[in-house]
Amino acid sequence: MRVFWLQRFACCGNTHSFLNYENFSSLLERVELIYHPSLSLKPQEEAIRELLKEKKGVEILVVEGAVRYEDRETVELCRLADFVLAVGNCAVYGNIPALGDKDICGLTYRFKEKGGLLGRDFLSGAGLPVINLSGCPAHPEWIVGTILMLLEGIRPELDQWGRPKEFYSSLTHWGCTRNEYFEWKVEAEELGSKRGCLFYHFGCRGPLSFSSCNTILWNGVSSKTRAGTPCFGCTEYDFPRMGLWETRQYAGIPAELPIGVSKRGYIMLSGVAKMFAPERLKGEG
Amino acid sequence: MKVENIELPRVEGEARLELSWKDGSIEDAKVCINSTRGIERVLLGRHYMDALVITPRVCGICGHAHLMASVSAIEDALHIEPTEKAKLVRRITQSLEVLQNHVKWFYLFVMPDFTLLEEKLKELYEPLKGKRWHMAIGVASKIAKGIALFSGQWPHSSYAIPGGITSEVSTRELTTLRQILIELKEFFLKYLVGMQEEDFVACFREGNWRGLGGDVRVFLELCHREGILEAGRSYDRLISGGQLYGLCGYFMNRVVHGRLKTGQIEELERVSYSGAKPVRYKGLPFETGPLARQLISGNPLIKSMHKELKDSFSVRVLARVLEIWSITEAIESWLERLKKVLRERSTSLGRFPSKAKGSGYGVVEAARGTLIHRLTIKDGIIQEYSIITPSQWNLGPRCESFLGVAERAMVGLKSPLHAQIVLRSFDLCSVCTTH
Repeated sequence: MRVFWLQRFACCGNTHSFLNYENFSSLLERVELIYHPSLSLKPQEEAIRELLKEKKGVEILVVEGAVRYEDRETVELCRLADFVLAVGNCAVYGNIPALGDKDICGLTYRFKEKGGLLGRDFLSGAGLPVINLSGCPAHPEWIVGTILMLLEGIRPELDQWGRPKEFYSSLTHWGCTRNEYFEWKVEAEELGSKRGCLFYHFGCRGPLSFSSCNTILWNGVSSKTRAGTPCFGCTEYDFPRMGLWETRQYAGIPAELPIGVSKRGYIMLSGVAKMFAPERLKGEG
Repeated sequence: MKVENIELPRVEGEARLELSWKDGSIEDAKVCINSTRGIERVLLGRHYMDALVITPRVCGICGHAHLMASVSAIEDALHIEPTEKAKLVRRITQSLEVLQNHVKWFYLFVMPDFTLLEEKLKELYEPLKGKRWHMAIGVASKIAKGIALFSGQWPHSSYAIPGGITSEVSTRELTTLRQILIELKEFFLKYLVGMQEEDFVACFREGNWRGLGGDVRVFLELCHREGILEAGRSYDRLISGGQLYGLCGYFMNRVVHGRLKTGQIEELERVSYSGAKPVRYKGLPFETGPLARQLISGNPLIKSMHKELKDSFSVRVLARVLEIWSITEAIESWLERLKKVLRERSTSLGRFPSKAKGSGYGVVEAARGTLIHRLTIKDGIIQEYSIITPSQWNLGPRCESFLGVAERAMVGLKSPLHAQIVLRSFDLCSVCTTH
């Protein structure tokens, strides 16, 4: 399977995330990475010209980075590919580069607005929309996992944002080691500790974001919330929101509740949970 | 005069080289980097804590350095002192990021050019195929794992906060990292310098750079054969502003000077062909990076090499490769200190002040050299933010009086490939240069 990696407005963070994939060498035995701008000997423009000229096409086109609306070259390359993977929040939603420039977008979105560079109805050669692998950066398992799925002939089932459900159907909250604190509404009063839930004061987006960070872990060992950092929701279109370290509250309740939870239910449950929270969860421990 | 335009491969981002030829040698060189993402602008009007999430996104390979520069600038502005434990852990993870970058740079960015000069090197160093290329990826990602132990993930962690770090570090992180460092040292000795530890230490003490083996030797022999061992000299003025290990200061007129004054650092206006602003110290161009650090902190190997070859590109490359050893040893000593303060708190503050004001500098040593963040905060909101990256010093354009550092290093070379090899010794990161 031939894979061509394209970079546009990017920090190359997805490339370095990809290079952390644990079985990188055996991956390269199974897929043919015909071009990667950070790794290959040729400059990107030359590789693109060759690919367009030889008309052999490419099975997988990976796009890293945000794009300009006028970028016809990227459109042409996407049309050439059987599958198109938008890797990272820049390629999916436009992300940071799009914040300061209205002419910059993602492949099929600009933040939550559908369309982007390729338009609403784009289908790649194999008849699939762009496969969006959001995240800043995307986890290596999401990138490689999707490539391997395609290699096995499995078509990934996509969610409403075009992301494979395999990786984006559970909340980042799943597998968080602070879940018991969340359950009993024991808030982290301070940063710098393994204890307490970061959802109430520190802006944690774990119950509001979709990713498998806390179940598969980063670099095989940890995750933001395990390291005491709130989840910033970097797999969602609104990353990076204003006030990333703060939970906006109305009348003492988080302004945004965990996905699917009603305000009434939340108030009732949290009252009871706080009242009966086990002592061992409270204080410094 | 012929002008040649070269699209550059293996750049973090995109860059072009414009060479002017006269009588078979390069008369002028321009490093053209255009795409800017305007990260400083995105920060304006946001709460200062947001900078800790946004500035790492300047660069995928050195984002941790940006995090450290941001948090230091905030602490400077708000007069916050982190705990001793947090300082040590931050130094450790920041240094680990430098290490993975050094390994990747040498094997993924420098050596592949040499396979174009010597067919038989392909077996080891060819991109995506070479044996050592694959090993280097494995080593680099192990180091990244070492960072993630403390910071939650790499790339793009935001675990450093005003007053400390968000993670509660315990013995597990310490002992696991120790194992990773042992493996890294083995890799360095076996492959990079190709010798036993005691022999390397002897070479190091004696400043015997010609005695080094391994991949370093392969590199030096090829430079010698190509006649470029002494190529790629620039101004021989070096600057190191942050503290990775050892000292900071600057090297000028063959003398190392102590502390530098941040007030003397100046960003000039952009020129037409580059999205980056030139940076000057005392009005002069300076090179920053491992060569500056190694020379200023007195590494005997680099001192003796520099004495012979000045700031040639080969010295620059060796300074960076050999820094892997110096940094690894420094991390080991910090781990010893960390053991003694493991029970200390991770942060001196716990909660960050939401309304605050002040201005501050954050100066750190990233893999490619001195990185400076400066910000002004009012009512907790960022009013000004400016970033000067190492690549701006090295790859930044000319001003009215001086060529950029890398530009000057390419003048007089006889082949476009040699020009690219020399340019790469500064490490081509266009995303940092223009940010």
